[in-house]
Amino acid sequence: MSDQVTPSANGFFLKADRITKVYSDGTVALKEASLEIRPHEIVGLLGENGAGKTTLTKILSGLLPPTRGRVISPKGDVRFVSPREALDFGIGMVHQHFALVGTFTAAENVALSHDRPFTRLRIAETRRKLEGLMEESGLHVPVDVPVEKLAVGEQQRVEILKVLSRDVDLLILDEPTSVLTPLEVDELFTLLRRLKREGKSIILITHKLKEVGSVTDRVVVLRRGEMVGDVKTAKASTEQLARLMVGQALEQKADAVELSTEEIPRKTVRKAIDRSSEGILHVKNLIAKGNTGEIAVNGVSFDVYGGEIFGIAGVEGNGQTELVESLTGLRVPVSGDATINGTNILGIDPRQIYRLGVAHIPEDRWELGLVLPFTLAENAILGIHRWKEFRGPLSLLRWGKITQHVRRLMDRFDIQATGPNAPAKSLSGGNQQKLIVGRELAKDPAIIVASQPTRGLDIGAAHYIRRTLLEMRDSGRAILLVSADLDEVLAHADRVAIMYEGRFMEVCTPDELDRERVGMLMGGVTAKEAE
Amino acid sequence: MSFNDILSLLRIALHAMVPLALTAAGEIVGETAGLFNIGLEGILLLSAFGGALGAEIGGPAVGLLVGMGIGGTVSLLFAVINTYWKGTQMVTGIGINLFAMGFVAFGLIQLGAPGFHDVPRAMELTKLRTPMGLMSPMILVALILPVIIYWFLKRTRAGLMLTAAGEMPEAADVAGININRIRILAAVFGGVLAGLGGAYMSIAWLGVVTKDLSAGRGFISLACVVFSGLNPLLALLGAFIFGFFQALAEWVKTLPAKPIPGEFVSMLPYIITLLVVSGAIGRVRFPKALGVPYRRE
Amino acid sequence: MSNNESTPQSRLLRGAQRTLTGLHPALESLLAAVVGLLVGAILMSIYGFDPWETYTGLIKGAFGGSYEIASSLSRATPLILTALTFSICLRAGMFNIGAEGQMYMGGIASVLVAYFVLPSGLHQIAGLIFAAFAGAVWSIVPAILKITRGVSEVISTIMFNWIARWLALYLAIFVVVDPLRPEKTLSIPMSARFPVLVRGTDLSYGLFVAIAFALVIYFLLWHTAIGYEVRAAGLNPSAARYGGIRNKRTMFLSFILGGIAAGLAGAAIVMGLPPTYAIYGGGGLPQLMNLGFDGMAVAMVGRNHPIGILVSALFFGGLNAGGRVMQFYGAKPVPLEMVRVVMGAIVLVMSIPELIRLFPMIKKRGEELIGSMRRLTRRSDRRESP
Repeated sequence: MSDQVTPSANGFFLKADRITKVYSDGTVALKEASLEIRPHEIVGLLGENGAGKTTLTKILSGLLPPTRGRVISPKGDVRFVSPREALDFGIGMVHQHFALVGTFTAAENVALSHDRPFTRLRIAETRRKLEGLMEESGLHVPVDVPVEKLAVGEQQRVEILKVLSRDVDLLILDEPTSVLTPLEVDELFTLLRRLKREGKSIILITHKLKEVGSVTDRVVVLRRGEMVGDVKTAKASTEQLARLMVGQALEQKADAVELSTEEIPRKTVRKAIDRSSEGILHVKNLIAKGNTGEIAVNGVSFDVYGGEIFGIAGVEGNGQTELVESLTGLRVPVSGDATINGTNILGIDPRQIYRLGVAHIPEDRWELGLVLPFTLAENAILGIHRWKEFRGPLSLLRWGKITQHVRRLMDRFDIQATGPNAPAKSLSGGNQQKLIVGRELAKDPAIIVASQPTRGLDIGAAHYIRRTLLEMRDSGRAILLVSADLDEVLAHADRVAIMYEGRFMEVCTPDELDRERVGMLMGGVTAKEAE
Repeated sequence: MSFNDILSLLRIALHAMVPLALTAAGEIVGETAGLFNIGLEGILLLSAFGGALGAEIGGPAVGLLVGMGIGGTVSLLFAVINTYWKGTQMVTGIGINLFAMGFVAFGLIQLGAPGFHDVPRAMELTKLRTPMGLMSPMILVALILPVIIYWFLKRTRAGLMLTAAGEMPEAADVAGININRIRILAAVFGGVLAGLGGAYMSIAWLGVVTKDLSAGRGFISLACVVFSGLNPLLALLGAFIFGFFQALAEWVKTLPAKPIPGEFVSMLPYIITLLVVSGAIGRVRFPKALGVPYRRE
Repeated sequence: MSNNESTPQSRLLRGAQRTLTGLHPALESLLAAVVGLLVGAILMSIYGFDPWETYTGLIKGAFGGSYEIASSLSRATPLILTALTFSICLRAGMFNIGAEGQMYMGGIASVLVAYFVLPSGLHQIAGLIFAAFAGAVWSIVPAILKITRGVSEVISTIMFNWIARWLALYLAIFVVVDPLRPEKTLSIPMSARFPVLVRGTDLSYGLFVAIAFALVIYFLLWHTAIGYEVRAAGLNPSAARYGGIRNKRTMFLSFILGGIAAGLAGAAIVMGLPPTYAIYGGGGLPQLMNLGFDGMAVAMVGRNHPIGILVSALFFGGLNAGGRVMQFYGAKPVPLEMVRVVMGAIVLVMSIPELIRLFPMIKKRGEELIGSMRRLTRRSDRRESP
């Protein structure tokens, strides 16, 4: 049962007041973000990856405590210690990765958040309530099927129904449309509009500009943890929003100075690409499924040549991960072709792919790139541990050579650690990444696949890695750079593809793009639609 | 094989079923919530011992209660180590087993006779006269409890919460459930049941405490749990099957001309479990978060 | 801050620092052992025994003289091997609880050498090979079940333990039984027995087999490419896959090696334990019983590292040997079973992760020590470089 909060004279339901969130590993997710939430309103929360949208809403819905700052209701400060408290207060969140128990039916999942444990589970009653709710909201799902057997769109509807059944006043939806068909999106938005009319507040987290335009009343833009814009939707153009999202403030702030030191020089010397030579990597009509079974890569074709950086930009979650996995032996695609110098690379072992001269800097350095309890030396040979240089007779490892190798890496890449035998987990994120980059590049590869290579790194480390990639390019290698950091891609790639919902929106050179256009493309607005 | 022989076999089987059924049912509750207790063997031993002592002091009812208390306490320790301290459930379980083996053997020596200790007749739980002979009333308990637990798991919200905690703790957390607390409660409940099963062995069935009284029953119960796919009713069936084979093996040993060596009959329950687990592994499905401590992001 | 310049002084300091941080897990084991012994002491006091006297007897019985030390080593021998079974598989990310059963089968298999004649030396090798083979076979099936059908290796190895127990009992009582003394199997002939290492004790060359195997495993895991793959797959299967490692292969290999180790443990008992050099059937193979489970305790205290296991096995072997003396020692001797109580308490305590964190004082002192060593190292570097 939620406290019916009557809007005060100020007319707000909840206020986030200068919320700062610093994670235990030092990442600053939010910096003094403030947000006012009013009834009868749909607010779009816009931003790139890592902007802090999910963090802010997790704080509002009780999953995380803020490091600083407070949440205010008309009655005073509120502090949620658990999601349950937030629910009781009237805040419900529909997560991007559903908080549903797969083996339960929809009815059982809904029953989970309702009261009193030892009473008999009145499933029949819950089912009836659920059916009533479905009528009201227009969301229909099979009630008695285990949720894991439902289609993703249906699962999401269960999530929404679950939250609605608690009679919330603030409904937060985290990237809800990423798993919906256009028809389902329309249905969802109709529902949201109706809820708004009933007086509820809705926060819609999204990176899709079109959606923002079609259903929100107000748009709040987050960038790198800070609130950079809070405008009425009607008054903002997609261009403006795009620019806000990717990095040029509307007003000239003192931050402009800050920006310029962060900013990467846009013009780097690019060798003319010799297109007459065979491309090293050919991809044709690649289709791959994601972990949940839905199509993640939806027919991608491109070529990468030696001596160029081919960048893939786009907000994470649009198929980039699955694309990279398909090309590096970590995922078996559904259909399509991909070859390196003529040899097929789909559906084969990573080791065989490496033998073709591929280096892979993975996007998840902890889960894929390193074995954290291993030492630097041990990590430095991951993937190349069978090389003749490191392996002697009887498969014995030549630790002497290996130590030499890692010392060279430490020198060349300025990896700060207590020594080659330090456990990898004792290194900072930047040094860990430098280790991975060093290791991969030491393979003398013909083609480098770099996925989010500077994510979460400090400026020095990021700069270093970017420079290294440029050097690699200049020495004739082919580089596939996948990054959600738009500045990075635009400044370094010779050609860019913007990826959205599994497809390449456009492939061109960075000169042909400006920030605004890219922002739109990233948000799913095609060139034609923009006009 | 006469009719009387069959009745006798059944009677023994039912008795042998009790500790298995109780322990397995209890462990099902624990595993549903996400905790995997390999220390059941130790709990059975400790509670058989403690229960016997309790019975000598205050009679069979006290004995059973003491057994339950021991089971609950040991499980509480196990649960706390593995929820709040994020320990490795496997290691804790093995530690419990080792400790119990030593402690019971040690305690038996203190009581006088190394290796075994008779429970005075008067302090045993009286058996009832039935057409099948003398049977312990605990058999009824063992038959009914799994049914109750089945109902509890499937038909109360608490059961739902437990299942959620073991299957997808994130969802349960969002729904406001305290994961650690619920896991501890589930484990303690399982321990109490196993304690009851252990005390039963010394007080209500065999009438004696030996240093290897449990004879692997803890592990057999685990096999029942696996066999049952976390369904208490199937576990009851499994317990009966195991009990039956144990009785059969004993009976075969008494035959003058042995058709099959008793040892092979004894092997059967384990082979069957293996087959079930290997064959039905698609059907048998364990909670996703089993054995994994929960940390909020 | 380059660590590349080194003076003898700073190298020494760095080595000490590294040893100290590497000793950290060893300290935890030591702490657990201390707590376990404390628990034992408390229990003893409750029952009216004198812990000091008891522990004195224990230590004397374990390390008091050459006979005692030999006894401890003899007891340690099979424990080294069964501990390795558990640890090898754990390093590969698997829980192999089946050392017990694999050991039974290995023991029975080594009795088979009684059926033929070979010169000494070859005969022993034959025994070892039979035992290793039997152990490996017994652990391969759970491995295959896990790899092909995803069957939990915990459950399958436990089941195989029990099947082995009954199978081995049957074989011991009915097949390879000694016709003259049916309570035991055939004794293996002289040519197949391990020579006794220390006259008058039961310590045999089996110890060398165990130590050799431990060293082989150490080299394999830390100094070969395949061992590297096993460890990587155990620590991070995703990264291993990324690194081109085939996790199924590492799983399989670890189980085979673990089975071999347990099988050899059985052989060590049959071929290395005077005076009978056979297996007694009665009461469930009493000489072999529980060595598999005890091995797990040894493995955990030894931090799953072959060198640690050697030390840990010596400790547990000492506990067992000392226990034998302890139970007759002093005015009011404590029964042997107390040893198992202590062992259990130690393992229980070990299961609490980051045990040292619970003792803030120790942690703080440790960190201070490491910190000061680091500063010393830096200072000496600076002093040398002009």
